[in-house]
Amino acid sequence: MKVGIVQFLGTNCDKDCKFACDVVGIKNEFLWYESKDLNGCDVVVLPGGFSYGDYLRAGVLAKFSPIMESIREFAKKGGYVIGICNGFQILTESGLLKGTLLKNSNLRFIHRDVYVKVEKSKSAFTKGLEGAVLKLPIAHADGNYYCSKEDLDYMLEKEMVVLRYSNSNGQIEGSCNPNGSLENIAGICNENGNVFGLMPHPERAVGDLGSDGEPIWSRLL
Amino acid sequence: MKYIVIVKPKKTILDPQGKAIKKVAERYLQREIGEIRVGKYFEIELDREDDELIERLASKVLSNEIIEDFEVIKR
Repeated sequence: MKVGIVQFLGTNCDKDCKFACDVVGIKNEFLWYESKDLNGCDVVVLPGGFSYGDYLRAGVLAKFSPIMESIREFAKKGGYVIGICNGFQILTESGLLKGTLLKNSNLRFIHRDVYVKVEKSKSAFTKGLEGAVLKLPIAHADGNYYCSKEDLDYMLEKEMVVLRYSNSNGQIEGSCNPNGSLENIAGICNENGNVFGLMPHPERAVGDLGSDGEPIWSRLL
Repeated sequence: MKYIVIVKPKKTILDPQGKAIKKVAERYLQREIGEIRVGKYFEIELDREDDELIERLASKVLSNEIIEDFEVIKR
């Protein structure tokens, strides 16, 4: 298994993702946004950061880069893609995931640890983790998940909601929602479960930094 | 040829930025005002008239149809 970590101009969690892969022992390499070559990687990671300086809308300009063409094809054929934070924003803008991410409801950049509950879903990245409560850091200004009522109903029916902000016991409460996200949604996947986007940073909760991110990374093995 | 594209948050979307500005505006003006909604403004220069091209750009790049509406003005 080889993981490809995409670097756009403005990506800043690429090395954190490499760190996480190294901790769990997955072969990995960086992929450059201007190339179309996925170098035979089995999993593609779109890391967090501020691709294109978040100009226009977070994630929208990265959507038009050459590597995204290959990633769309790769995902269509069932290839595994995980987008974290800005990577999640790129996936929604690209149409690989439903909905979009608005400014946090309090208009602030939020950086702190949160609890998320792993829901029963199609996501290949959280297989066997259903019901678990993970403590993961968030760091974003645009993490307020939003989609239409039809899309939400569809996602609930098809088990595409993967993570929800919760308390430490896994109860989904409004007070645990850091950014105003619809239904406390912190992460979703596509119909086939091979594309996964989330706002929290599992790469910052491995090794000496914590342990709750590890199960997600070790699923890539 | 110049086109102007205005992108606005959909009526159904909460606009926390607009809300924050309204609060400050009311304090500054010392009177109540209606809702403020914040959008984006683009000026696009084009060598010839091509409405379809600009519509495509506005709908696929400049705006996100889930949360925004747009308006094209020709100058």
